[in-house]
Amino acid sequence: MSINHLSEVEFGVELPTFQPDTSLANVKKFAIAAGWNSPRFTDHEAARKEGLPGALIPGIMSQGFLSAMIHNWAPGAEIRLVDTIFRAPCVVDERYHINGVVTDIDEESGEVEIDLTVTNDAQETRVFGTAKVMIAN
Amino acid sequence: MPNVHEPIDVESLRDQFLNSVFDEYELVLDAQKLADYAKSCGETAQKYIDTSNPDFQAPPTFGSSLQPKVRYPKGFPTFKGLGMDAGKAVSPSKPMRAGEPITVKTHMHDIYTKTGRSGRMVFFVNRMEFSNANGDTLGAADTSIVIREKPQS
Repeated sequence: MSINHLSEVEFGVELPTFQPDTSLANVKKFAIAAGWNSPRFTDHEAARKEGLPGALIPGIMSQGFLSAMIHNWAPGAEIRLVDTIFRAPCVVDERYHINGVVTDIDEESGEVEIDLTVTNDAQETRVFGTAKVMIAN
Repeated sequence: MPNVHEPIDVESLRDQFLNSVFDEYELVLDAQKLADYAKSCGETAQKYIDTSNPDFQAPPTFGSSLQPKVRYPKGFPTFKGLGMDAGKAVSPSKPMRAGEPITVKTHMHDIYTKTGRSGRMVFFVNRMEFSNANGDTLGAADTSIVIREKPQS
């Protein structure tokens, strides 16, 4: 269900999870657009030579996935804060799940707080954080 | 830049380095790159992915991708210990538009510690603030670096 008004938001509700495109081609497109075009994000072999498990999804791209999830759920939401902690690397070409749960609703101001996580198929949290968004009444 | 091997004197660093702008530059955002940024993240809102949309603007987390030209204030010491990216927070307040000059200023916003059973960790938070040609604040992005202090040899 798409959220258009604050009155439709329920405390504790889980936002629809989505699986982002983590392919090397898409991460490279992102890295070029962001000005972060480094082999550690765009080349598995080069990343492994640096001791990494493979090319990494930039943390800022994970932030973008989280923001996209919020807009998929509430298209008119105005994001005021995305605060993230990168607990463990996310690797390109692996599958991740972008998750959110509503943890607070301020009915006067219209601010909604959402707990955010990026998890892998093993249900391990790789990124977690909080968003604050404004949703109109 | 001195290389410090003694325990980090957090109070002294706070007194010397907090809240002074140490990096400033201007940039102009490219519309197609902003749209590519948003689309590759899976964004669906038209104002972030359609460059012809009258309200086209940078996606909300874009500020996190910007970096200072200089990472630390002049004279800031280097430390013995493993430095890691501890997280990023971005707080947009007004749209960042393609084609308009944006000023990016960076200051050290906070230095604090957390102590656990395995020792002390020191966090350094750099804050970048974005403004347009009218001086309107467009938002801010914080980057936290943590250093886990190593035992002194």
